Amino acid sequence: MPDLKIQRKPLDLRPDLTMWKIEGPLDAESIGYIHREFDSVLESKQNFLVAEMSGVTQVSSAAIGQLMGCRQLLVERGGDLVITGVSLDIKSKLSAMGATKIFKFYNELRTAVNAYHWEVERKSEMVWMSFPPELQFVPPVRQMVSRIARQKGYTNRDSFRIETIVDEVCNNAVEHGSERLKKNIDLNIKIDREKIELEVINASDPDKIDALRALSTSMPKTPDAKLGQKRGRGLALIKMLSNKLDINFSGDGTSVHVTKLREE
Amino acid sequence: MFSMDTQTPYVFKVKFPSDLDYVSPVRKFVAETLAVNKFSPKFAYRSEVIVDEICHNAIIHGSRTVDATVEIECKVFSDRFEFQVNDQGGKRDDIERLKHAMKKSDARLADASQEKESRGLGLEIVRLLSEEIKMEVGEDNMTTVRVVRKREDA
Amino acid sequence: MESQIELEYEDIKGHADTKMVRFVGDLDATNVETVLEKICNLFNDGFINIIADFKKLRYVNSTGLGILLHFSKSAKEKNGSFKIANVNENVYEIIEIIGATTLLEIYDEVDEAIAALK
Repeated sequence: MPDLKIQRKPLDLRPDLTMWKIEGPLDAESIGYIHREFDSVLESKQNFLVAEMSGVTQVSSAAIGQLMGCRQLLVERGGDLVITGVSLDIKSKLSAMGATKIFKFYNELRTAVNAYHWEVERKSEMVWMSFPPELQFVPPVRQMVSRIARQKGYTNRDSFRIETIVDEVCNNAVEHGSERLKKNIDLNIKIDREKIELEVINASDPDKIDALRALSTSMPKTPDAKLGQKRGRGLALIKMLSNKLDINFSGDGTSVHVTKLREE
Repeated sequence: MFSMDTQTPYVFKVKFPSDLDYVSPVRKFVAETLAVNKFSPKFAYRSEVIVDEICHNAIIHGSRTVDATVEIECKVFSDRFEFQVNDQGGKRDDIERLKHAMKKSDARLADASQEKESRGLGLEIVRLLSEEIKMEVGEDNMTTVRVVRKREDA
Repeated sequence: MESQIELEYEDIKGHADTKMVRFVGDLDATNVETVLEKICNLFNDGFINIIADFKKLRYVNSTGLGILLHFSKSAKEKNGSFKIANVNENVYEIIEIIGATTLLEIYDEVDEAIAALK
């Protein structure tokens, strides 16, 4: 059986991050080797290490214990040691050793880097959508945004509120959109660990713009104000559910910008 | 306001980060949009599977750089559904493998699947569920996969 | 994060080495890792026979299928079995397209799967 080989190199996707390409048997005899290689990682002041293990043929609890110790040191320094590329067989064995409760596993390097961006660097991610100004498109759109929020770790309560906000803003965009221009509605979503920002842009006919501007300035303070009042309730609801609401009118359209902070 | 017929479609697009987290919301969005446009639940479900597999492929093999995105553009006609998924350029080997997989005969991959886990199964599903599928490779290996599905009752 | 899937467990009377697992939700690339860990834990705890109730499994893709084939193989290696019951029409179609209907033990009802235990 060939010996264990650990090759240390920068990640192609992010050369400032370090990867270990581990090949061969991670057995008890490899503990010393892992220790020496890890010392050189620490010396280079790297706190985030991706162990790429698609070439690992065997795992022992002693070697995994050694890797857990390495991870602990990195976590104490504000970093992590994450694992990618393990086969289902090796993953089953790691699960039996309890390693899956300690390490974060990613299918591939790309996902590990994405997680680093999101969790450690707190970077935001963008989604751009465009859909026809027809009411039947609004439910799928609002549910997609809500699902993205849930997928990114927002609570069900937050996700539901985000869904309501998207629903109201998009319904307004459909209702007040231009019948003449037949232009799609654009929805831009910026999401990070702390907040989600939504921007909805729709074309409007010039004669509608003034009416919309008047409506936005006279919006009721609460959604249930006056049963007889037909308009403005949606905007009031958005205002209550969100942390910031801006509406901009230009010569040919409207853009609504909403910020919703994440609740923990 | 808008109308949909065999010539003028509803067009909708989503551009999202090249991250598997986004595939589930996007595939469900497409399926639900087809459902509200009166396509059958079976049609919507099959389309969801196809979108899932192609987007998954674009993320794993296509849009691999930092900040890379994947774009899906859908056209809903009264008699058919067309969509295309654009990635931002993968490795030559992966593109050749994709091309090869699209041309495969009806040989089933299940026998091999036990050894290879799920590798290759996704494209087999796409090929068998789509009436028409085409792949184009542009500048910098940017790849577009186009799929056409006819409405069952059209 | 991952798509929503819940696994609900139930013991089966008279079969101490068997666990019934209800899959609720979607099985896809984002949650196969979690499902793998949970099912492997059952194998490791001595449950060599798993009966997977798919009545509420709405969705499966190729990655999900890959892991089902892996469970079937792992169970056989332990002289056990991974049986699937109550598969809905849509999920069955995907299994069929892959040609995996002969590789997986599929039953119409959970009771039939229990009756087929050794």
